[in-house]
Parts: sequence; C-alpha cells; structure tokens
Amino acid sequence: MADVTIVGGGLAGFIAYQTLRRGGLEPGAIAVFDPDPDPVATWRPRAEAIRQARMRSESDGHCYPASFPGLAPREAMRRGDLTPLAQTVCNRYRPTVREFLRHVDELRERSRWDESVLPSRVATVSPVEGGFELDGARFRHVLLAPGHPGLSLPSELGDDTRVVHAYEPHAYASRVAIVGAGMAAATEWLNALDAGAEVVSVRRREPLRRPLNLPRPLFSKRGLRRFHATPPAERAALLAELSAPSYPPGRAWDEPVERAAEEGRFRVAASVNGEEEVICATGFQRGYVHDPLLRRLASELGVATSGRWLVLAPDSTVPALTDETRTLAVAGVQAQWAYPASDTLAGMKYAARRFVRRVKACRTR
Amino acid sequence: MSYTLRGRLESRLAASILPFLATCALSLGLGAWWPLELAGAMIGAGLALDVGLYHRLLPYQPAWAALPLGLLELTATIALVRLFDVAAPLEPALWFFFGSWVLAQVLAHACWPLARLTYAEDGGELGRGGLGLFVLAPAALVVVLGTAIATQPPTVRLTAGVHQGPIVIRTSQVLQGEKGAIVRGGIVIRASDVTIRDVAVVGGEYGFDVEHADNVRLERVSVSDAKLDGIHARRSSVTVRECRIDSVGNRWAQGIDISFSFDKHPSRVTACTIVGGMEGIVTHFTMARIDGNHVSRTALRAISMTEMSMGEISDNEVWDALGIGIFCNDMSMCDVDGNVVVATRPDRASGDTARIGYGVLSSYHAEVELGDNELRANPVPVGTVADAHVVRK
Repeated sequence: MADVTIVGGGLAGFIAYQTLRRGGLEPGAIAVFDPDPDPVATWRPRAEAIRQARMRSESDGHCYPASFPGLAPREAMRRGDLTPLAQTVCNRYRPTVREFLRHVDELRERSRWDESVLPSRVATVSPVEGGFELDGARFRHVLLAPGHPGLSLPSELGDDTRVVHAYEPHAYASRVAIVGAGMAAATEWLNALDAGAEVVSVRRREPLRRPLNLPRPLFSKRGLRRFHATPPAERAALLAELSAPSYPPGRAWDEPVERAAEEGRFRVAASVNGEEEVICATGFQRGYVHDPLLRRLASELGVATSGRWLVLAPDSTVPALTDETRTLAVAGVQAQWAYPASDTLAGMKYAARRFVRRVKACRTR
Repeated sequence: MSYTLRGRLESRLAASILPFLATCALSLGLGAWWPLELAGAMIGAGLALDVGLYHRLLPYQPAWAALPLGLLELTATIALVRLFDVAAPLEPALWFFFGSWVLAQVLAHACWPLARLTYAEDGGELGRGGLGLFVLAPAALVVVLGTAIATQPPTVRLTAGVHQGPIVIRTSQVLQGEKGAIVRGGIVIRASDVTIRDVAVVGGEYGFDVEHADNVRLERVSVSDAKLDGIHARRSSVTVRECRIDSVGNRWAQGIDISFSFDKHPSRVTACTIVGGMEGIVTHFTMARIDGNHVSRTALRAISMTEMSMGEISDNEVWDALGIGIFCNDMSMCDVDGNVVVATRPDRASGDTARIGYGVLSSYHAEVELGDNELRANPVPVGTVADAHVVRK
C-alpha cells in the first residue's frame, strides 16, 4: 500500500507526482485521488475557452521536476536551433499551449501517472496515529492539491440566461458585455473584437496594470523570508493586494482596444444592459471556504486560517497536523500563505519539492 | 533569478573551486605565482561586486544579465591585475576568465538546478555544502598565502653607505637598501624573482644589467653617471617603478633599454624620471607598458618602441626632446594615449628629415593607435614616414 498520497490530479498534483518520482518513489508507492486521470482535464478546456494560444509566463513553465532542462533547451535540441535558448535567456520564451499539452501527455506516459491514479474524490481527511485516513484508507504523507474551487459569477447575474463564464466554452455574439477587469477580461476583449463583436466592458473600477508575474523576489528566499515573517493580518492584506485582478501594460493590449473604441466597437459601462451575450471574466471563487475538503479541515479539525487563507508553514505544510512521522501539505492556489505565486507552475513545484523533502527525510519510511 | 546574498556568495565560491584548483596545478607546473594571483583577482573582484553592487542593485537577475555582468567582472579583474602588477600573459588570462565564466553559467543554469531542485527558490544557496564553502574558502586562502610567504625569497639588507660594485646577484632575493645605500660600478642580475628596492647606483657600464631573468622588480632605484644604459635588460621581464636615471652630459647613454624579450611576460616601466642621454626609454622586440614616466632632454628620442615591439605608451610627460618625442618604429604596434609631449626641438644638425621635431612619429611599417594626447610646441605634432600608419582612436 502506498504511504504517500496526492489529493487532486490537476497540474499541482501532477507536478507533485513528477517530483516524487524523481525523488525515487515508484508509481506503486504513490496514490493520486482524482475522478479524472487526465491532469489537464480542467485546465485544457479553460485555456481553449479563452483562446489561449501561448503559455503566459515562462518562469519554470513546465512540469518537469527540475528547472533544467526545461522546454526551451529541449526544443532547441529538437529543432537544432538556438532561438528558443536565446528567447529563454531574455525571458521571452513562451511555448504554445499545444506544445505544453504535448509535454504533459509525454510526461504522463513516461512517469506511469495513470498507474497511480485512483478514480475517486476524497471527501474527508482525518488525522490518525502516524498518518491520515482518507475515506477509509490510511496514508502517512498527504499532499492536498485541490485546485481552484470553482468559477466565480456575480450573484446578480446568476439567473441570467445570457451569461457564460470566460472559462467555459463559448462563441461571441455580435454584441457582448464582458464583465471584469483582469487578465481574462482583457483577453476576452481582444477575442471578441477579433471575432467582429461589439464589446461593452462592464467594470466597477479602472483596470490595474502591472506585470503578469508577482515581484520576482517573492519567487525565492530573498523575498519569501520577509513574507514569511510578516504578521498574519498584514500578510493577508498583501496577498489580497497581490491577487487583485490586473493585466500587463503594453501596446499589444491597448492598441486593439483603442482602435475599436475609435470605431465605436468598444465602450465601458457600469452595468450589463441589453447585450446579447454576457461573458463573465470574473475568475475563480476565492478562499478555502469554497472547497468542501478544506472547509472541513478548518471547521472540524481546527486548522488555522486567516481571512480566506489556510495558515501554512513556510514549507507549505499544515503545522498542526505535521510532525516527524507524518505530513499534511497543500499545493496549488490554496497554498498562497506559504508561497504567494502558488497557483503558478513554479509555485506548484515549490510545494512539491518541500513535500518530497519531508517524505524522504521521514524516519519511518 | 532572485539571489540572496548568501546564495550569490555560495554560488560564486562553488563555481570558483575548479578554476582555483586548475590554477593551483598550473602554478605548481610553471613554478610561478601568476595563475593563482589571477584566480585571486577574478574571485576577489566577483565577491566584491556581489557584496557591494549586485545584491543591492539586482533584486532579480535575468539570465541575459550574465553577459554585461561578466564584462564588468572582467574589467574589474583587469584593473586588479594591473593594480597589483600580476605577471599574467594576456591571452591565457582572457581564456581563463572566459572558461571560468562559462563554467559558472553552466553550473548556475543547469548543474545546480539539476543537483538541487530548490536551487532557484533558495536564491542560489547550496545548503550544507554551501556552508562548507564558507569554511573552505578562508582555509584555501590561508594555505595559499602561507605557501606564498613560506616560499618568499630571502631579504638581503644593503646598509647605508657606499659599496664597491659591481654586485652580482645569482639567486632569487629581495635586496633592500637602507636609506643612503649606494653601489658604485653597477648591479648585475642573473637570477629570476629578484627585487631591488631603495638602492642608488653610481657609475658602471650599466647601472643595472639584467640578463635571462624573469620577474625582476626594480623599485625606487636611481642611476647616475652610467657609461651606457641606466637599466639594461636582455631576454628578461622586468618591472621598473619609481626610478630616477640621470644621464645628463652623456650624449650616448640610454636611460632604460629592454630588448629581445618578446616571448617573455610583458615588462613595465612606470613612474620613472629620466633626464638626458641619447634615448630615454627604449624597447626592441619586446612587449611593454611604459606609463606615467617623466622623460626630458634626450638627444635622440625620449620614448621608443622599435623592432616589432608591442605595447602601450600612456600618461607620460616628455619635455625638450631633440628630434623626436615618442617613436614607434620598424613594424612595432604602439598604443599612444594620454601623453603630454612638449617642446620637441628639431635636430637640424643631423640633416635627417625624420628628425624635424616630431611629437609622435610612426616609422617603417609601424602602427600607432593614437588616443587623446597633449602635443604642444612641437614643430610637427604627429607624423609618419616609410609606410607607417597612425590610426586615431
């Protein structure tokens, strides 16, 4: 029986699995709980829905457990062309979504991921002596990688039949309202304009323009030391500020919108009016309370929380339920308390690497 | 990557291990200190920039920054090499730096992230191994410095007063003159690794006669009334610093003549004052740097690089030379920059049209790269004869 388990088989779980495999664990020693064995089953349709053609950021933008060699050197080798290397040196390498998906498929097969996947959804995690019980099965080390809890829709539009979420499959009507002011909204403005639609941007505030990545020091100890030492209330406020909707500055975003505005095809409004279609680019539900498993951890086991975040140790573990003999860790978007960019591939690796370190160091293994 | 300060230092030290060991082996093989001194300059410059500059200015360092930072480190290393007169030949030194830089990049971008998955997240820190480096580095420094001190040549003290020469030196040593130490009849050097300081030489055929000797240093020495050359070096590499040579009244004497040493480490003459004689400073078939000297009242030329010599003539002051101030001749290549050449006089008595009072003259297939010099009151500031070239920077 495996003594290491991953709850959630999305990208965060997949990366954790790859890292465990590199750490020397065989597929039989790892159990992954997820109803769907495809690690991009959730991510793929969302990327397709917003017509995402290229990966947005290249910081460790792959699922290999080690940073090197990433996709750029491999592509350079495969094509016999140094361009991807030059691009990655200048932080300009952005592989296509298709290449990324192919990479996931290859890795899935090579790492024998499917052998570890148990097609079920875990409803409860209960601490027991020297480990945890998950719906009847016992494990010593558990990584929770539940992903985003669900899509977020404004409550006032809940019953509106015109509404579709940006991350759900959709076409564009001739006149669309796009609700939101973040990256998905900006992407949808361009998509809809490209499709010939007239766009009404519905937003409560002017969009925040800043680089896609969080401040770089927050990706390493340099910024994380200070972040981890920040008092809880201040840390929660910082995380809220960092996760505010935004999109990057740049002519590629501005020019099409300005041109459309001059042609009368783009305008801003405070509320939805008579548009044929309403696309909600309003992101995801936020916070542990929207995830049933995490909510139970907090309410029934008293796991500490602050605002909408689970309070985690710097190594992404749950302090109250982790000791020398067992580990309960969190990866992915719900691990922001330990790593602000935890919803990026780099952030998923951060949690995974520390989880593997604990698993390997555990005396009872 | 966002390095922590500790991460920068550990990554730097780890990348320095192999170059350091290589230079240790090279130093042992060659029986010379310059490889280790070069490595020391490179590592020292890197560590100083890490602490003083990079950590403050670069909270995030993109991969492309390695190139400009590498050039900055190369500049700093060259500055240290010059400051401490490290006797490293240029081309191997540049290759050594380049190889070390490439190694550091390969380690930082490929090897460490493979060997230690959290390398980037840890800001370049290397865990317990990195801490070990902080112990190892001072230990290595102590070993090297200890060896350097233990293998220093003995110091011989020359007491104040007049000593009848010629003194002949056949073993490595430091000859340290006390205040007022004078040698009559010259000093003959026939051994490598000889340093002579604070000694005045009076008379003799040559003040200092150096032959077949490497790494000879003459510091704060003076020569007067030598019959031929103040300092005469053949098949040797010498560094002459803060010397004074007086050849006034001897029309045929030369101040400093370094010749036939092209395959040796470049020689240097710096901060010397030379008065009178036929030529002030002259090199034949030698690589040399002649900088910061004051040469005046010479009867033939003040500073000459000739017979396929190669080097730099910079920041010198040349006054009242007869015929030619600075001369680059016979297929030599001379970088002439920052000099002051004033009041060169035409040598009409010679009847030689190449001696009509040139501030700088390039002659017979020689090439002068001319920088920003102050050339005043010379009948012809710059000239070329016999298929020579002057290229302005």
